[in-house]
Amino acid sequence: MKLFQRQLERRGQESKGTYPDDAPDSALLPRDAATGEPIEPTPHPGYYPGYSTLSQRAYWDNATRETVRMRVDQPPPIRYFTEEQAAFWRAVFDHLIPQHDRTAERRIPIVEPLDARLYENRGVGYRYESMPQDREVFRLGEEAINAEARQQFAGEFLHLPQHQQDLVLQTLHDGRPQAAEEIWKQMSIGRFWQMLMQDALEAYYAHPWAWDEIGFGGPAYPRAYTRLERGEPEPWEVEEQRYEWLAPDYTVSDLTEATHHLHLESDQNEPGPKSK
Amino acid sequence: MNRPVASEASSREPHRLGPLQTIDVTMRRFAERDEVDFLIVGCGSAGGVLLQRLARAGFHVIALEAGPFWDTARDWVSDESGSHELYWEDPRVTGGKNPLALGSNNCGKGVGGGSVHWAAFTPRLHPSDFEVYTRDGVGTDWPINYDIIRPYYEQLELEMPVAGPAYYPWGHPHGYAYGPHPMGGAGNALIKGCTALGIPVSIGGPVAILSGSHGDRPHCIYRGFCLQGCKVGAKASTLITHVPDALHSGAEIRDQSMAARVELGDNGRVTGVHYFDRNGKSRFQRAKAVIIAGYSIETPRLLLNSACKGFENGLANSSDTVGRYLMAQGGNVILGRFEQPVRMYKAPPAHALTEEFYETNPKNDFARGFAIQTVGPLPIAFGKQMVSAKRAWGWGLRREMMDYNHWASFGLLAEILPWAENRVTLAEERDRFGLPVAHVSFNLHDNDKKLIDAAKNKTMQVMQAASATEVVQEARYAHLVGAARMGHDPRTSVVDKFGRAHDIANLFICDGSILPTQGSANPGLTIQALAARTADYLISQGQSTFTSNERDMTEPSLRRELAPPGTYGRGVPRIA
Repeated sequence: MKLFQRQLERRGQESKGTYPDDAPDSALLPRDAATGEPIEPTPHPGYYPGYSTLSQRAYWDNATRETVRMRVDQPPPIRYFTEEQAAFWRAVFDHLIPQHDRTAERRIPIVEPLDARLYENRGVGYRYESMPQDREVFRLGEEAINAEARQQFAGEFLHLPQHQQDLVLQTLHDGRPQAAEEIWKQMSIGRFWQMLMQDALEAYYAHPWAWDEIGFGGPAYPRAYTRLERGEPEPWEVEEQRYEWLAPDYTVSDLTEATHHLHLESDQNEPGPKSK
Repeated sequence: MNRPVASEASSREPHRLGPLQTIDVTMRRFAERDEVDFLIVGCGSAGGVLLQRLARAGFHVIALEAGPFWDTARDWVSDESGSHELYWEDPRVTGGKNPLALGSNNCGKGVGGGSVHWAAFTPRLHPSDFEVYTRDGVGTDWPINYDIIRPYYEQLELEMPVAGPAYYPWGHPHGYAYGPHPMGGAGNALIKGCTALGIPVSIGGPVAILSGSHGDRPHCIYRGFCLQGCKVGAKASTLITHVPDALHSGAEIRDQSMAARVELGDNGRVTGVHYFDRNGKSRFQRAKAVIIAGYSIETPRLLLNSACKGFENGLANSSDTVGRYLMAQGGNVILGRFEQPVRMYKAPPAHALTEEFYETNPKNDFARGFAIQTVGPLPIAFGKQMVSAKRAWGWGLRREMMDYNHWASFGLLAEILPWAENRVTLAEERDRFGLPVAHVSFNLHDNDKKLIDAAKNKTMQVMQAASATEVVQEARYAHLVGAARMGHDPRTSVVDKFGRAHDIANLFICDGSILPTQGSANPGLTIQALAARTADYLISQGQSTFTSNERDMTEPSLRRELAPPGTYGRGVPRIA
């Protein structure tokens, strides 16, 4: 049964054009910290097994229920990106918020909400003067990421192995690009990275499956939260059950770096060479 | 988006504001050919209070509002990602060396404005805030002092009403008439950390959220979605505290109407406002006086877009001060991870604070100070904090987010001084109406940077003292004020102490943009208090505002009888 599930899932992956054939499957998976063995993909990663925010939707108000239902049942179609562009950005976002630990039917769409935003030309209420318009950001961004991939690994980003894709993106994360100098004169690499991460977060952590993963209580009107103190669960929530895990072998994204020595927003979010 | 307005809705379903309150009155409609008494641009924190007061006093008054007139049962959701319509997300350009994030960070759209998505912390300014230049030689003094605004603080604390402790020790000490809220995880951490370091802390407020049911508004249910609009109706916004009474008193709200230009007549007085209606059609509403209440970006933008013969650099801008002295506060968020789960989102984000470091301390190498407050980021906001505070991405980000329930967070409010070159100008880019959008430029000075650094370090100490095992920080800014400041001197300010433009006798500005300095307090209460005072002034002036260019600088008396019904109590506890 499990094997059949895995085959289905791999087919799903391949059909999305996300994973190169040469990437060994288990290398994409997080591993058990004690045994070092890959942790099989699950519909529900995280420390709150059995917890489901959606199971509580009868207690939500109508407007909220409908908003969340649409998000789960009817993610918007791709209308702005071409098929190639959508495949490219899927590959990028698979590194910014990887989901290989989720079974295929439980992966959370990230490119679709972004595509809808760009299709409707919807911003967030401001554009940094060091940045072009959002649509242009994604056009230049694709060019710059591919230029970086060619410079570092002599190939287009989409065709690089997972580890090398991760390294390309890490260069942008660090604000130390080796290629596409002309593009980074037109847009701030720090603000570019910030926009990518924000679009990724806005999609992933807006989804009830992600709320289940992190143990967020979700909508609570009209019922209310009642256990405000000591972090204890409501009767319909579950206790945390932690497990130790290691990030997959291919990745360099598991390291974090505290930046509290930077007390100014511009220093914290524009770590690379400033474009202006 | 095609939302019925109140009068249309009355023939179908009632216009609902929370589970108890409905708008059960047919809204009055004025014709464009009617010359109304007051036309208010913007129906937010200030505009809502002005509209209510002026209508109750019997004036003919319209509020133009760029956004929708919310039916909160239908339009609002308990959902972080689904609440973007509450924020001003039309295009703007932001720059300078320390550019400000706008949008959801500090700008509202729709009836209620920013008071719809504020956290509702309502501290007063301190007496020192009104004489910063005299005391410290920085910033500027206000044209009014604390004693003048104090009765309005007390009045608005009843009208919202504000819940808080019985004894509030900072600034001018006072108490609150409504009981404090229970603690959530962030508040408990703040109490623990402050207590360990000997720092006094205010528990359970002051916050404009109902701790018990009040009239047709139910009590808070602690679901944590304050910044997404309070569907419960427990958190005060002018949409639910003042707008219903304004409509009962015969005011009109023209929603989805975007002001384009204030018209100046041959006699040097304004005659009305050009605007785009909900269908994008250009219209003109006549008025005897105009009050701009569009907040710190849209107010200067409208004045600059209203440039005309005699005011080539922007209407009412002979001082070249329109758009200048824009301020935000350092709003860095300090996050602490705890061994045991915290679930910090279960409570209003705003429920405990300390102002122990608010005043200038001669031992510091900077002037002025800061406050430390609880905040309660929902998952997306928390994710953005992890991206900035820990440079998290990929699997590292997934790992941090799985620990969401283990974190508590404090926000600091650090006073940034008013600087002339921190300003709003017009960009080349235009919006969907063809109007030039705002360009915001922001640079920090030495005092600002030192203050923010010290505030950040102190707040991290408090989090450590609360027994957090890991403490990190996201740098950001909070709030906006300034950009059309009030003052005595027409050469260095835009409006006088009542909000009347120095240059034009029947043009007023009344919103956060008129604040000369900002202290380390959330500006919402001060904005509403100033609006109630300007309303009393306008009422005291009667018809002369509409006919005379004379300036009567006599302080009006507080008219409690004009408060919304049921909010006229015995006052707030005075303890000093």
